[in-house]
Amino acid sequence: MSDTYYDLMRRQGISRRSFLKFCSLTAASLGLGEAGAQQIAQAMETKQRTPVIWIEGLECTCCSESFIRSAHPLAKDVVLSMLSLDYHMTLSAAAGEQLRANAHETIKKHKGNYILAVEGNPPLAEEGNYCIYYGKPFVDVLREYAKDAKAVISWGSCASWGCVQAAKPNPTRATPIHKVITDKPIIKVPGCPPIAEVMTGVVTYMLTFDRLPDLDAQGRPKMFYGQRVHDKCYRRPHFDAGQFVEAFDDEGARKGYCLYKVGCKGPTTYNACSATRWNEGLSFPIQSGHGCIGCSEDDFWDKGSFYDHLTTIRAPGLANLGVEGTANRIGLAALGVAGAALAAHAAVSAIKQASSRGRNDRVSDVEK
Amino acid sequence: MATYQTQGFTLDNSGKRVVVDPICRIEGHLRIEVNVDKDNVIRNAVSTGTMWRGLEVILKGRDPRDAWAFVERICGVCTGVHALASVRSVEDALGIRIPKNANIIRNLMHATLYAQDHLVHFYHLHALDWVDVVSALKADPKKTSEIQQAISPWPMSSPAYFREVQNRLRKFVESGQLGIFNNAYWGHPAYKLPPEVNLLATTHYLEALDFQKEIVKIQTIFGGKNPHPNWLVGGVPSPINVDGTGAIGAINMTSLNQVKEICDRTIEFIEQVYLPDLIAVAGFYKDWAKIGGGLAGQNVLSYGEFPEIANDYSNKSMYFPSGVILGGDLAKVQDVDLKAPDQVQEWVTHSWYKYAQEQNGLHPFDGVTEPNFVLGPNTKGDRKEIKEVDEAAKYSWVKSPRWKGHAVEVGPLARYLVAYARGHKEVKEQVDAVLKQLDVPVAALFSTLGRTAARGLEAQLAARKMRQYHADLVANIKAGDLATANVEKWEPSTWPAEAKGVAPCEAPRGALAHWVKIKGGRIDSYQAVVPTTWNAGPRDARNQIGAYEAALMNTPMARPEQPLEILRTVHSFDPCLACATHVMSPEGEELVAVKVR
Amino acid sequence: MRVNRVSGRVLEGPFEPVYVYEAPVRFWHWTMAICMVVLAATGYLIGSPLPAIGGEATFSYFFANIRMIHFIAAMLFVVLFLVRIVWVFLGNHHARSIFVPPVWSAEWWSGLFSQAAYYLFLRREPHHWVGHNPLAQFAMFAMFVLGSIVIVLTGLALYSEQYGWGSVWMNAFGWVNVLLGGSQMVRTVHNLAMWYLLLFAIVHVYMVFREDIMSGESVIGTMINGIRMFKRAPR
Repeated sequence: MSDTYYDLMRRQGISRRSFLKFCSLTAASLGLGEAGAQQIAQAMETKQRTPVIWIEGLECTCCSESFIRSAHPLAKDVVLSMLSLDYHMTLSAAAGEQLRANAHETIKKHKGNYILAVEGNPPLAEEGNYCIYYGKPFVDVLREYAKDAKAVISWGSCASWGCVQAAKPNPTRATPIHKVITDKPIIKVPGCPPIAEVMTGVVTYMLTFDRLPDLDAQGRPKMFYGQRVHDKCYRRPHFDAGQFVEAFDDEGARKGYCLYKVGCKGPTTYNACSATRWNEGLSFPIQSGHGCIGCSEDDFWDKGSFYDHLTTIRAPGLANLGVEGTANRIGLAALGVAGAALAAHAAVSAIKQASSRGRNDRVSDVEK
Repeated sequence: MATYQTQGFTLDNSGKRVVVDPICRIEGHLRIEVNVDKDNVIRNAVSTGTMWRGLEVILKGRDPRDAWAFVERICGVCTGVHALASVRSVEDALGIRIPKNANIIRNLMHATLYAQDHLVHFYHLHALDWVDVVSALKADPKKTSEIQQAISPWPMSSPAYFREVQNRLRKFVESGQLGIFNNAYWGHPAYKLPPEVNLLATTHYLEALDFQKEIVKIQTIFGGKNPHPNWLVGGVPSPINVDGTGAIGAINMTSLNQVKEICDRTIEFIEQVYLPDLIAVAGFYKDWAKIGGGLAGQNVLSYGEFPEIANDYSNKSMYFPSGVILGGDLAKVQDVDLKAPDQVQEWVTHSWYKYAQEQNGLHPFDGVTEPNFVLGPNTKGDRKEIKEVDEAAKYSWVKSPRWKGHAVEVGPLARYLVAYARGHKEVKEQVDAVLKQLDVPVAALFSTLGRTAARGLEAQLAARKMRQYHADLVANIKAGDLATANVEKWEPSTWPAEAKGVAPCEAPRGALAHWVKIKGGRIDSYQAVVPTTWNAGPRDARNQIGAYEAALMNTPMARPEQPLEILRTVHSFDPCLACATHVMSPEGEELVAVKVR
Repeated sequence: MRVNRVSGRVLEGPFEPVYVYEAPVRFWHWTMAICMVVLAATGYLIGSPLPAIGGEATFSYFFANIRMIHFIAAMLFVVLFLVRIVWVFLGNHHARSIFVPPVWSAEWWSGLFSQAAYYLFLRREPHHWVGHNPLAQFAMFAMFVLGSIVIVLTGLALYSEQYGWGSVWMNAFGWVNVLLGGSQMVRTVHNLAMWYLLLFAIVHVYMVFREDIMSGESVIGTMINGIRMFKRAPR
């Protein structure tokens, strides 16, 4: 007889009262209200923990680090009472053969029912040998573990989009998960890293409602990635007022003006930062004075400087010649060139017209 | 090449091969292979970095003001250290001087990371090498409580508390779904702690998991988030406004109060939980004060950290001094010059990169990072599955950095040895006290246990420095200085056509520096030589072994198929979280695979 | 007057005035022109805002007003553009020309090249055209029509963003986001499309003045009263 979450939490010394409190907190963090809390409570009382295999490719482990920053619920409670984290590069006590055996056992025992969480991504260049796992290309291990998974969670911008190692020129051909695993439901939880409570929120949602979260057209849970940082930013009134930070540490910066002009990507970034905030709701980049760098957006590394909200466009292959600029600079330059060309054209036209008129006049003279 | 001698070690690869698998340049995947003799003593060690992301290549042509964000993503565990190294180097190149407040805030954020990273390393990455979680179920909570109360005033010490944790653990184990604790080495004879101490440490494993997320909130206050807070060339992004309109949008009284409270709680946790646990556990593993010394007793390097004077990275300013000790001669500490072409150099003789002349090392200003994945003729396996690497050829994605041609060790122990040799007052007091308490000689520092102990002591100093930096910040604001960023040279039009720079940094894991060359407002070349490169690097052109390799030499193993000894020593360097290690028999058939957490 | 039906080239006289642009088209043209000026100006300011203004945010809605004007002009532009598309079906033969350049016609292509040759001073005299000449038609289509479609779609996609994924707006235009690979790219393309249209605008303005002065046909007047006059017989 397997234990449900509730059994486990009860037996781990968590009171019925604090269990229910946890459920309502979780419900609140998901925006579900009292009915949702009851649903969560019921779900946790009747289900056994979902097995999870968590693997890491080309990455920096910031996702795992973020995960253990979760406060509601505590990472400790997720690991001990909600998931069965059978394979996790960072937290597992078991090593190597035993750890690999854990993965194989989970795959065998829970075929089609375990979740594969992927942090980082596989490089495809050099036959995958820019990331070697058990002596094998990581991409092979990824395919093997994904084969029997119920769903795949792409943690962070590496797994979701490619992130820093996939920035131009992407020397290792680092490739996001959905381009390698094409036959499984994939939930992208982008961000570098994603917010801790967003990570645990996505997991809790899946456990509670026993379904995948509703995803947007780019495969991200709508509940956290449905709106832009800008839409819920507390500095929005300053944006609307036209009050901007012009340079770091200027008067506007000290008054908390909008960071749009020093490159804030909040208006083009879908994430929960401005509402959920970071580290137990303490702050988020804009609140601490730096613009959003757009870390949950696809390819945010190649959209120009983090200090210009307009994209720097680099002509392929010509960037080293200095052929680059924002759309405004390119547009102005193009307009300038066109203007000069038209002026020249006008001048030539006038000369031609004059000379042609002269010739016509002469012809008329002769005809006379 | 059956046998050869280097750095006082005799390498012999004729015995049984044991393999330990994945770290990228800094973070990710490391593989260790060793040969053991008939008595199961390690006689040859090979460290292979199995991951390369090519950030140096990616950075070329980018805006140097953006570089910090790219390189910060080298590592999410020691998050921010590369960003700090990057902004310092760019400022050095462009001659940008940061305001005093910015220096204090950077120090505060950096010290915060030291405290958190060391704590997480000890409890979550290293402790399970020494602590048997399952044995904790056999403990008498009352006795655990007595031990706790004897070693520390930490209030969470009642028998009922430990019983509750034990119950939670028991029910967890009985559920049959062991999750992260599944299938480990529980019951292995190398575990020597009594059940009561195991329960104590396991309890604190859980407490530390809750508490570590509190420490990093200081980075969140100043940098907006953690992991990966935001930094700024020329200062810090967070402005200060303690008494004007709109102060709530800046560093204000409430943020300063939060910082203060976190500093106090961090000191309390480290002094009342971390250090007493460290001493208690170490007392049972004194034999490890003789194992795993490697290069520690020979060559160590520190760049120095925590500049107390803004923009001054000399030893006049650095709290932890810089220096190099060669041949274990504590009486003679040599000075480090990052710009001297003959000091820091990197070799790729045994790394999967290409140089025009591979017998020579290159100073990072002249550095080249061009991948070249070739396997040596004696490799077992192939490109689809490497079973054993050929250490006579190229065998790692990590380069081999050397100081004046010497392989050196970096990290908390190296910092402590340099500081100790330079007569650093607090370090000396701490070290002498611990040596006395454990009743071991100074030479005990040159060991696996020494590395782990130095890290704990450093966490304590870092936490105290956090409180001091908070006080400094308040004092400076009180004196009327609110500046946090210098934007005089923000626009590329104010920069010279060509510039190059480097500045020192000490990450929690050791010496770190980024060498940047800027041309026409763009990065022309970027080379990072990181702690794990120093420690995990492979052999060089003279076949000198790296720090991991040296530390593993001559370690007796109880059971090669359960290489707890390798884990202990490799973990003592804190080689980042996600490094899998696995072991194969001499025939290349897998015996057992070991995961290095 | 005999005219090639496909390309609009005037083959032979007599050269009586022709009613080319019907009133709705003319009204549409000038409203559209005003919209574009307003949109370009406000759009540029949204991309590169004016220096920050002081005061209390509560009492200022300056930047939001700029955006509001942009949105109003944009919606008008969209409606006008849609109306113009409807006019393709309701209007006369000329109403269709810039939307459906007859790329299948050899005569049209030869006209396009001869007109290009004329502008490059390789040909002394142009042919005469009723409505747009093939080159103008092509430019109208490639620059104005396609440029407008791009700027309208990206603009609506950006406008939709404030409603978030799952909203009616996002359901209608979120695909642009996905297609271009994210919001930042949508902005960039929108911004570039503005310059593309401005480029069109200055070439257009130059050409109509030049043609009005140099060719034998009325041009500016035609867009005012709708009647194309022929000042002299084509050679």
